Parts: sequence; C-alpha cells; structure tokens
Amino acid sequence: MAIAHYLQNIDWLVEFSESVLAYPIVLSIHLTCIALFGGMILVTDLRLLGLTFKSLTITDVVTSLRPWKRVGGTVMIAMGLPLAACDAEKYAPNPFFWTKMITLGLIGVHALIFRPIVYSKTEELDRSPVIPTKAKVAAILSLGLWTTMFVMGRLIAYWD
Amino acid sequence: MILQNAIADVLNNTEWAFALAECVHIGGFAIGIGSIALVDFRMLNLGLRHETAGRILRYTEPWTLFALVFVIFSGFALYMSQVDIYLVNLIFPYKMYVLVAALIYNFTVHRKVATMENPPPLMSKLVAIVSLLLWVSVVFGGIFTGFLV
Repeated sequence: MAIAHYLQNIDWLVEFSESVLAYPIVLSIHLTCIALFGGMILVTDLRLLGLTFKSLTITDVVTSLRPWKRVGGTVMIAMGLPLAACDAEKYAPNPFFWTKMITLGLIGVHALIFRPIVYSKTEELDRSPVIPTKAKVAAILSLGLWTTMFVMGRLIAYWD
Repeated sequence: MILQNAIADVLNNTEWAFALAECVHIGGFAIGIGSIALVDFRMLNLGLRHETAGRILRYTEPWTLFALVFVIFSGFALYMSQVDIYLVNLIFPYKMYVLVAALIYNFTVHRKVATMENPPPLMSKLVAIVSLLLWVSVVFGGIFTGFLV
C-alpha cells in the first residue's frame, strides 16, 4: 500500500490523472491497440486452428504479423502503466486488476512454452498434413488468455 | 419510449448488465476494427503480403459485419440507458458523424479499392490510411464522450 501511495503521488502522475486531455488520450491509445493488436492475435490463432486465411501459410501469418504484435504489445503496456499507476491506491486492492496482471504473467508463460515448439516452428507446421494438436492447444489457450485479459480490464472499473 | 425505459431499467438496475454491454461493445469494436485494420495493413504493404488485399477482405468481411452488428446493438443499449447524458454531450454527436462516415467509407471506397485487381499503389495506401484514421477517431470519440461531458 505504501508503494501504491508513493506511486500515485508522483508529481507527473498526479498531473496526468487530473489532466483533461492526456488521460483520455492515453486510454484511447490503449484501446486502439486492443483493436489493432487484438485483430492480429485473433487471425494468428484462427489460422493455427485452420479456420481462416487458409490460402496463406501459417508461416506467412505468424511471421508477417509478429513485428506489429510486438509494437502493439509494447505501446499497450506503455500506455497501461501510467493508467494503473496514477490510480494505484484504487488498483492495489482490486481483484480484477490482479487477475488481469496474473493473466498477463500467464501470457508470458504461454510464450515461453509455445514459442519454441509452435510459433518458431511454423514451417514444420506447414509441412504437416494436418495441423498438429500442439498448435491448436496453443491457439485455444491464447484466445482464452487474451479474452480474460480484455474482460478483466473492463471489470476493473466495476469494483469498489 | 417504452423500449428505452425497459433497456434503461435493465442496464441501470442489474449489476452485470451494463458491464456486459460494455464488454460486448469494446470486444465487438476490437474485432470489427481489428479485422478492417488487417486489410489496411495489407494495402499499406505492412503484412500478409503473400495474399491480395481483396482476398484478405473476403476472409475478414464476415467478422467485420458480425462484430459491427454487436457493436451497434450494444452501443444502442448503452445509449438508451442514459439518453439524457448523451443528448447534452459535446463529443457524442461528432462520434456519431465520424462513425457514419467510417461505415459508408468502409463499404464503398475502401471495399472498392481493396478488391481492385491492380490499384495504383499510392491510392491503395491513401485509402488504407484514411480508413485507419476514421476508425481510430471513432474509438477516441467513444472515450472522449465518457470524459468530456
């Protein structure tokens, strides 16, 4: 709680949370990233499930969207940090916020597990006559984790 | 009027209904705009280069339509729950103008150029940039509607 109190009272974060323009602009960018970046995650996962974009190889989809997903993820987190920090004392006891953060951690774990066996092995997946189960498991878990992230993000506002 | 009262009642008096409507609204625009953005990215030559923009559009258009239906219905419900606030809001009308412009643009100019066999590259890029700007403006309009009353 002391950390939350400290964070929330950092000068520029106080100004940020009271600003008429900066706060909603940062929030809008955070949400825009959900749309741009979310669409790419959805396409990647649905392609791994073999449900769409079948005229493109898994390699095409995964590798051509990878740099953009990285940019999107970085901007999204960069915008999320001040949004959470400027209201730290309200976020600290909020169970939805912590569920969201745990989900973010699990997304990291998902990457550690599946990057070496799925996302970095797309050529192998493309050569396989049927899409291997590991790729489908990765896609379903990814869809579940990102949906949880998104819903928890929205529910943060509803806890008091 | 009866419909408005009924919608307002449910959204304002049920603990989860407003949150659910908001989740559907935001999730819907994420998928709707995200799917349009994939076509734009292709038109800008930024990704999915092994397929034409027209083909990408064919894949994503059903999602776009499906998602936009959810966005518009949930948005209508949210509007109905607090009509008085929206009627005096300074930003909300602009959000609606831009939304209408974005919708018309998407299904006319954008669709036409995306499905062209060999569009001039510059035109293709310009059309994609305008599309992204329009949709991002709608998102900003939505947030600002909530902040600048």
